[in-house]
Amino acid sequence: MEEVVSPYGIGTALVLGLWAYIAIVSMLAPNISFHEPIVAGAVTGIIVGNIPLGLAVGGTLMIISLGMHTYGGATIPDFLTGAILGTAFGALAYDGNVESAMATGLTIAVPAALLMTQLDVFGRAITTVFIHGADKYVEDGNFRGVTLMHILGQLPWGLTRAIPVFLAIWLGAGPVQRFMEWIPEWFQEAISTTGSVLPALGFALLLSMLPVKKYWPFLVIGFILFAYLEVPVIGLAIAGAALAALYFHMKEGEASA
Amino acid sequence: MPNNNDKNVTKRDLWRVLLRYMFTFQWSWNYERMQALGFAWSIMPILEKVNETKEDLKLSLQRHLNFFNTHPPMGAGIIGAAAALEEQGAEGEAVDSLKVGLMGPLAGIGDTLFAILTRPIIGVFAASMALGGSMGGFWLMILFGLFWGIGVKIYLFWQGYQRGADIVQDTAAGGTMDKLTTSATILGLTVIGGFVPSILSGVTTPLEYTETVEVEGELTEQVVAVQDVLDQLLPYLIPVLFVALAYWMLRGPLKWSPIKVLLALVVIAFGGSLIGIL
Repeated sequence: MEEVVSPYGIGTALVLGLWAYIAIVSMLAPNISFHEPIVAGAVTGIIVGNIPLGLAVGGTLMIISLGMHTYGGATIPDFLTGAILGTAFGALAYDGNVESAMATGLTIAVPAALLMTQLDVFGRAITTVFIHGADKYVEDGNFRGVTLMHILGQLPWGLTRAIPVFLAIWLGAGPVQRFMEWIPEWFQEAISTTGSVLPALGFALLLSMLPVKKYWPFLVIGFILFAYLEVPVIGLAIAGAALAALYFHMKEGEASA
Repeated sequence: MPNNNDKNVTKRDLWRVLLRYMFTFQWSWNYERMQALGFAWSIMPILEKVNETKEDLKLSLQRHLNFFNTHPPMGAGIIGAAAALEEQGAEGEAVDSLKVGLMGPLAGIGDTLFAILTRPIIGVFAASMALGGSMGGFWLMILFGLFWGIGVKIYLFWQGYQRGADIVQDTAAGGTMDKLTTSATILGLTVIGGFVPSILSGVTTPLEYTETVEVEGELTEQVVAVQDVLDQLLPYLIPVLFVALAYWMLRGPLKWSPIKVLLALVVIAFGGSLIGIL
């Protein structure tokens, strides 16, 4: 962290802003994972020249976001913007150690993801303009206008991500870098602890949407397999598939008996 | 009233609907009518063919601008079936009730299959690869995205179109779907059971205490790590407690929103680290 790497210029800021725009709009359609933290982080890593860091920041945010889904259009923390800013600023603190650069990246990424929920709500509020515009164009029989409204509908989504990312990278790189150098050790340690605790929320959200009361033994079996027997993740998935098959086998066996 | 005009909807028109739906569906998402404009614009190539007058097209578009919201990949089946009905000259009411009747169940099934079952499993695999520095995690997420965003949409659109309304209704109500979700639930819970301790393994306590023990008649002081004591009680006890706490805040009497729980966990973890218990 002592070595000051040259802060980003306007070119990088524009490219990252554009990437944020494309990634959020692709979340609306065609839904091809560009907005997932791992992808957003890795692409940012390619742009700023530190792919392992982008993957690490994105991977951590991916785990935090497990179980968070925009049910019925709910606003959730913006891990896409978090991954981009976390990777870009973490890379400035990179001194050969991915772990410590990632900790720095997360001190930016998590607060940014939370702050961005405000802009998400703001952006979504503006979108109503376009459906009213479309109503009017249909009334007037101007069908090209309908097309226009549908296409322009992406603007509030894209711009609420592109503008903050652009400004943070372009204007904020210097100040953010100085700020990060100023951050004391104990604070970074506390943030790192927080980062390791947050996946608990992802799991809790996931469990709260599953029929845990009915199927809890499978949860316990999975826990035992890892905690006592150290079965790796692929083994867990195979065991789960076998248990599901067994469950129906026994259930249907009972029915026919 | 069915109209028997020469509508000649071509394969090309149907592909236009599918491509519009696939690549732009939610671009005009809004709080008021959610995916309505996306649906109306996507199905427009068919509406332009089957409606002879501008006035008819207007009325037909207005119908499709009513509230609509579902899981986008699953919804491809709905727009496929709706395209078939519009082509057959079905009454507007029939198309509307198909849309309204199916958007809810398919949203539920799609959210479950996507957000609760497949994304977390694939996501954790991808994340563990990514944390190990492998681009494999990136490619895995891209493949996953192509599967849902492109593959599922193409498949369900043509299924919906060819079998009209029937198939979509079968899928929503039938036993095959129920068996699939139960299997996926069991698989999901087993994997989550193992992921909780594996992903949260870094959550430990640095606390220590000193105790005086008698070794061969002599009193000596010994430093005991609290974590070791906890591990003997139940390995990964602290991760389990954190998940239980978060679950309780979401589902217990508090019924907190995820963002509130997130903030609470931040405060607990941050504070715990400062006072040296985490």
